[in-house]
Amino acid sequence: MLILPNVQNALDQLRSHKMRSVLTIVGIVIAVTSTITVVSVVQGFATYVSGFLKGMGTNAMWVWPERPPGEAGKTLGRVELDLQDLAAVQRGCSALRLVSPLIMSQSATLRFGRDELTVPVEGVSAEYHAIRNLPVGVGRPFAAMDVEGGHHVCVLGREVLRKLNLDEGLVGGTLLLDGRRFRVVGLLDEKGSFLGNSLDNIVLIPYTTALKMYPQFRRRMALAAQAASEKEVREARSQIVNLLRRRHGLNPYQPNDFQVRTQDEILEAFHAMSLVATVVLAGIVGISLLVGGVGIMNVMLVSVTERTREIGLRMAVGARRRDILAQFLTEATVLSLIGGGLGIGLGYGLSWLVSLHPKMVDITVPGWVVILGFGISAATGVVFGLIPAVKAALLNPIDALRHE
Amino acid sequence: MNDRATADDALIRLEGIVKEYPMGMETVRALRRVDLTVRTNEFVAVMGSSGSGKSTLLNIIGLLDVPTSGEYWLDGRNVARLSHSELARLRGRQIGFVFQTFELLPRQTALENVQLPLMYSRTRGRRQRAVEALRRVGLADRMAHRPNQMSGGERQRVAVARALVQQPSLLLADEPTGNLDTQTGGEIMQLFVDLHASGQTIVIVTHEPHVARCCGRIVRLRDGQIESDAPNETASC
Repeated sequence: MLILPNVQNALDQLRSHKMRSVLTIVGIVIAVTSTITVVSVVQGFATYVSGFLKGMGTNAMWVWPERPPGEAGKTLGRVELDLQDLAAVQRGCSALRLVSPLIMSQSATLRFGRDELTVPVEGVSAEYHAIRNLPVGVGRPFAAMDVEGGHHVCVLGREVLRKLNLDEGLVGGTLLLDGRRFRVVGLLDEKGSFLGNSLDNIVLIPYTTALKMYPQFRRRMALAAQAASEKEVREARSQIVNLLRRRHGLNPYQPNDFQVRTQDEILEAFHAMSLVATVVLAGIVGISLLVGGVGIMNVMLVSVTERTREIGLRMAVGARRRDILAQFLTEATVLSLIGGGLGIGLGYGLSWLVSLHPKMVDITVPGWVVILGFGISAATGVVFGLIPAVKAALLNPIDALRHE
Repeated sequence: MNDRATADDALIRLEGIVKEYPMGMETVRALRRVDLTVRTNEFVAVMGSSGSGKSTLLNIIGLLDVPTSGEYWLDGRNVARLSHSELARLRGRQIGFVFQTFELLPRQTALENVQLPLMYSRTRGRRQRAVEALRRVGLADRMAHRPNQMSGGERQRVAVARALVQQPSLLLADEPTGNLDTQTGGEIMQLFVDLHASGQTIVIVTHEPHVARCCGRIVRLRDGQIESDAPNETASC
């Protein structure tokens, strides 16, 4: 094969038709740019989400009441988890290491001096720190006494402290939470943020206190739990399901009146989302490759017509049909590979631009997507360059030499 | 059918060559039973008015076209019915073409243009051989020039160098002086005479008498048939 001369020849052609070449490869550039960018962003999110879920605690799982949809749900009476359920899960699920109730109020009013702000409050037990991997950095977590007695004590996230413009000296002091006076016993370690939402904007209080303060949330009480090990996550799940179904008196034909979610399942849900993004991407890439490919075919057909005499001359001095075929295929492939290269460059640029957004996750362009970018552009060049190249190769040398 | 020509020194041996083209509803007979033998180191001019079939004859001799019927032995080998790829290979190695309009690649230098046939025959040491060919046509100082930087005569010399670079057994020229002024054309013809003197077999198609005058033999075509074929005893340029 005459690879080197063919490539040189192709580059000469590009140089002498700059405008035309640039316009031709726009479609390929768009296809490769969008591939690189979307894949990198999705990849960045996937990495981030799995990292975040690990930060949510090891082998953590959540259980909350949920009325099943449709007829099945209507026949059920109250749908809730109560304290007896909690006690039963704590006692009866051998695959669980830790269990904590979870009562959430999204908007409690916190007042300190003249400052007032709205914070999410979570009523939990002392185990919650270990389950959610929320260690206390300064002060202490709840003691068993606080929970049993329903004491008005709280543990604050760092973001709350920042919003109040206070430092660690607040530990031991008091503040007002929905009008009740609470003593601050501890501060959580910094957790950072997820998708722009601070994970440190949180106030933890004993669940017993929360139940007294917010009786209306009693029916929305959920459980947070930690399996004894990664292997026992599935076992823990089925133990919880069996136990709660028995306790709620559900017959085999009734669906669960609660939901159990493990970290893996949340990750799967995210992967399903990123699959949608990938399918949309494939659509964009397919259309732009088609547009780019037709552009390349068009320009190559023009090029073959323009250079008919050159083709005749090459045949006269000994070029075989396959030499001419290789020459024009190389030209189309070089054209599309340059488009691919530009697309990869632009993809890097766009990924970088996207990562500048303050709420954006870290984005790195994976190596395999660069190879994929070159691959799809080269394939487009070969596929759409084939018809013009065959047309050139099948020219009759005399007709070609006589071409005006 | 005997696959070898008679055991003489015939380089080209055409027997009963017929070439027909479909032209709309009709068939044009460009060549009607042409017999022609050219021996090694002959210098032949093919003359005739336009439409006489001289270009068609040159295309068939140069393996750019195949005859409708008839036999053609080139250097003892029957080449009337070879495949495209074998024809291309023979064209590249045995035949050098010189065209009226030079047919140089515009974006390549003289040296690169001359290397083109060597590229397709995958010959090694292309550059050295191209340099030698350019030296032979007197363009040793023009090797890095592109066609648009050279005069018509220089361009045609590059084309001759390209035709010679494979050391072909046959040099074919189609109106080689047609696009040149009289003096430059004369210089090109002198180059052909010199090449012939060093042993090169040459066939030139022309309608210009002063070009034919340089050749040792003149074949005249008329309506696709050979009208006369005689040695030119008084060959001079």
